Amino acid sequence: MIPAILTGVRLHMKQASRNPFDLSGVIVWPILYASIAYYLLDAKNDPRLLLSASLGAAVMLMWSLVVIASSGALEQQRWQGTLELVVAAPTPLTAVIGPICIAGALVGAYAIGATLTWGALLFDVPVKVEQPLAFAIAIPACALAVGMLGLIMAATFVLYRASFHLGIATQYPVWIVSGLLVPISFLPDFVRPLSWVLAPTWGFRAIQEAALGGTPWPDIGMCLVLSLVYLAIGGSCLVAFEYVARARGSLRLT
Amino acid sequence: MNTLRVVFVGGLTSYRALFNWISPWIFIPHTLGYPIFEILFFVYLGRFAGVESDRFFLIGNAFLAIAVTGMFGMGHATAGERRSQTLAALLASPANRFAVFLGRALPSIVTGFFVATTSFAICAAILGVHVPLSSLSGLAIATAAAAFSCTALGLCLGALGLRGRNVSVFADVIAACMLLVSGANVPLEKLPGWLQTISSGIPLTHGIKAAREVANGASIAATSDLLLKELAVGGVYLAAGLFMLRLFEYDGRRTGSLETF
Repeated sequence: MIPAILTGVRLHMKQASRNPFDLSGVIVWPILYASIAYYLLDAKNDPRLLLSASLGAAVMLMWSLVVIASSGALEQQRWQGTLELVVAAPTPLTAVIGPICIAGALVGAYAIGATLTWGALLFDVPVKVEQPLAFAIAIPACALAVGMLGLIMAATFVLYRASFHLGIATQYPVWIVSGLLVPISFLPDFVRPLSWVLAPTWGFRAIQEAALGGTPWPDIGMCLVLSLVYLAIGGSCLVAFEYVARARGSLRLT
Repeated sequence: MNTLRVVFVGGLTSYRALFNWISPWIFIPHTLGYPIFEILFFVYLGRFAGVESDRFFLIGNAFLAIAVTGMFGMGHATAGERRSQTLAALLASPANRFAVFLGRALPSIVTGFFVATTSFAICAAILGVHVPLSSLSGLAIATAAAAFSCTALGLCLGALGLRGRNVSVFADVIAACMLLVSGANVPLEKLPGWLQTISSGIPLTHGIKAAREVANGASIAATSDLLLKELAVGGVYLAAGLFMLRLFEYDGRRTGSLETF
């Protein structure tokens, strides 16, 4: 199973790196969100805030690519008529879909470089990482946790044929609740408990704390714990939803 | 008469075909849910930054909802035909091309208008933003003008779909740029001069400006120049889109590339 996962991650990363849709997403979207944040937050004249906005915009993209990659890949396989073959293969579906999500998140990690470069070149945002080792570990930890959250989403995509639209619709709610550009303290109180169970919240905090100087390790730990929890939930949901889709005979429906 | 039939019956049929693959239970939450959360996201960002009012972001992003439905609806019309392998049959028919694609544009305009007004009303209620009743007619006119210009831009994208295989990438990038350049989320005076020049030539910019002035108490007559500019921008894109449709259809026939995925 491990070789299947590693091969899947490698294959989907290659695919995403050659897909113009994903590439434009990696380059254009985070830069635009970061630019909007720079123009708006510039009023506060706080370089650390602008650096934090760069990282937040990158994690936003990471989540987007996970849902787009997983939902888009399933929709694509439906159209190509290969989804049934994938489901019928002896390899567990989790080992097929999990790598799609993780690869999406890892490609999204490129966006960190894009937003930091853009901010430094055009908006004079200082790029100084206080804890490089923690920063280097926080990025894959964040990608893993966000990717595993995507696995839970992907389970529902197996069941519904309009998976791509469902995936797209989850972007803004997760961005808001995770406090990526707007601190959670600015949001209504009922949002806080929701943010605790979402990987982007902890992944962003880990990267932010490592970059700005803080205590990133507990957040990195939370990313790993959440990854395991998501894997258990997502894997179980996939098995259950796969059974329902087989029973209904709806896998192939485009 | 036949042209009108192609516009309305063809448009209605293509719109109904949408529900062949997407359930209304998914279509409605998606078309409404996305703009509602987009509005809330930028309103909270504006509050955090201490820039402009909730109403500023509410109006700007409700108008962006028009851009999404108008542009993507039209932009995907040709891509959808190609994907379901009906594009060649459609273009082989003697039907007036303008009527065929206008038929596909009308539902997009109506959807864009519905989405913008509904998400505006829901978010105004959530955020407690008050808009005077007297300004609603002006807002509706500005919305209609913006829906027209966005759909005209969508026609250009749809025409590009005859030429390029993956027009959704281009549409996606343009939609992303509109978040910044149209003045929906960043006051235009904060943008660099060259970006302000670009923003004056794209759909939405003048419509959003007119809507904000109307919401602040200006009369429709006082904003008529902005509305006319919005319509003029839409007219230019409409003309360009029709020209591109003709050009790329000819080129697609010549190179046999209409069905290329």
